[in-house]
Amino acid sequence: MIWSAFKISVLVVSVATVAVTLAGTALAFVLARREFRGKEALDSLVTLPMVLPPTVTGYYLILLLGRRGPLGQCLYALTGWTVAFTWEAAAIAAGAMALPLMVKSARAALESIDRRYELVSFGLGKSELETFFRVTLPLASRGILAGVVLSFARALGEFGATLMLAGNIRGKTQTMPLAIYEAFISGEDQKAQLMALILTLTSIAVIYLANVLTRPPKAA
Amino acid sequence: MLNVAIKKQFASNGRAGFALNAAFTASQGITVLFGASGSGKTTTLRSIAGMVTPDAGRISLGDAVYFDSTTRVDLAMQKRRVGFVFQDYLLFPHLSAAENVAYGAKARHERVRRQRVDEMLKLVGVDYAAGRRPAQLSGGEQQRVALARALASDPAILLLDEPLSAVDAATRSRLLDEMVEVQRKTGIPFLYVTHSPADAVRIGDSLLAMAEGSIVQQGRPREVFNAPLNVPAARVVGTENILVGRIAGHQPEEGISAVDLGVCRIAIPRSQLAEGSRVTLGIRAEDIIVSRECISRTSARNLLAGKVRHLLRDGESVELVADCGVDLKVRITPQAERALELVPGVEIYLLIKASSCHILP
Repeated sequence: MIWSAFKISVLVVSVATVAVTLAGTALAFVLARREFRGKEALDSLVTLPMVLPPTVTGYYLILLLGRRGPLGQCLYALTGWTVAFTWEAAAIAAGAMALPLMVKSARAALESIDRRYELVSFGLGKSELETFFRVTLPLASRGILAGVVLSFARALGEFGATLMLAGNIRGKTQTMPLAIYEAFISGEDQKAQLMALILTLTSIAVIYLANVLTRPPKAA
Repeated sequence: MLNVAIKKQFASNGRAGFALNAAFTASQGITVLFGASGSGKTTTLRSIAGMVTPDAGRISLGDAVYFDSTTRVDLAMQKRRVGFVFQDYLLFPHLSAAENVAYGAKARHERVRRQRVDEMLKLVGVDYAAGRRPAQLSGGEQQRVALARALASDPAILLLDEPLSAVDAATRSRLLDEMVEVQRKTGIPFLYVTHSPADAVRIGDSLLAMAEGSIVQQGRPREVFNAPLNVPAARVVGTENILVGRIAGHQPEEGISAVDLGVCRIAIPRSQLAEGSRVTLGIRAEDIIVSRECISRTSARNLLAGKVRHLLRDGESVELVADCGVDLKVRITPQAERALELVPGVEIYLLIKASSCHILP
């Protein structure tokens, strides 16, 4: 139970973190650098999972992705596959919960950069894409990294939305937090303790790593 | 040859605010864009670079049209061959000095690129700091690297926005000379924005005086400073005394004309204007001599009696306001103030050469 939950958690959290990092940074760039109608509405929509109870977020995800949901229906029609009660569902739930943290951190980091650095780059003949990767991203890297760490932590601890969308199927969708709950409920205190310890140590390691990675460069 | 003729309206709080309406040409050498802050210098510079889009007009550099509102041309910043140097350098903080310069270098091959970087760093004299990050460089060094970075991209013109206003006085003086040297060596025309008259006169081959969004005079810097052609230009270059009067008569054989200011008459160099024409005179505060005695045998054609109204210490100099029927501002040294025992109320005489009195059209 512990080993399988650990493996599922690693898979789910890795996939969710990578996806959230890419999508969240792109979304944050659009929010920080572009003006368009409905921009604040988009921001609110992305931020919603941060304030909604996770079970409500999970419920909306079912409505959207379930076999009768608008997205889920299309997916089923095209591939004959439904996302509900798979490990992918757990990753989607974890990703949806982590996305606001990523977008918030990355947007703040991008908005704090002096835009004139980008103008300098354009003036030196560099395209927007090249400027993004060679100037904007390096300058915002610490804020973005902080967002990745927060997203990782959020995805690792995800419980409510995962339970709604992916269920609690041992060896299939049961992540560490779900396994801890089940072990505790069924009186397997030692197992619960061990898993809690594993998650605690992982979290401490993540915090340490984050501090090292985001440490400001030493002044001369 | 840079050709600029642009208009842009800025609204402030819903009201029609500042209006930019600038037209000028700039060719070889260093052209100084001079004016007070808020006169539109930076907006003009940014329009040329493509950071600001004018409402109407045309900007071209040689055969390349950067902007033309009638044919809807608005060339992207990347396609304009314009180098830009900011006041606060804006070196990429995550790259070394050499990497900053290399960022703009066009050369494809690594070896050629490295040569170009070395060459540029040597040109501005910071090759010894190639490996340092911007945070490890002094202000002067950062500005030199910023100059090298802009030059490495092989621009057709270099725009400099108050590039020396953030460095200390000694460095500033050295950098001014270096800038002229770099310009002469590269042959790239510079358009240099400043509000410092000293800098303008020192490095400018040509000067554009700008006030309230318009170019009010263009010429050699000393010409513009010594003989502003109109009231706005006189204000820009700091002609403190602007007086309005009428031509009272001419003495062609004496080489002078007289201007009646109502309370007194002023002799000016022979003017072609008809008697009775209204004229505006500009007299610079530092062109007036103060005396405690009435001197009769002097070449100065104007001798005005008056009283000291007040004195204002302004850094290294003193601004004296004399009441001679009209108020005249005079700039003197603190030493003169002390030696002449000048205090408000004392009687003084002002001596002004006819040739220091300029008619402003």
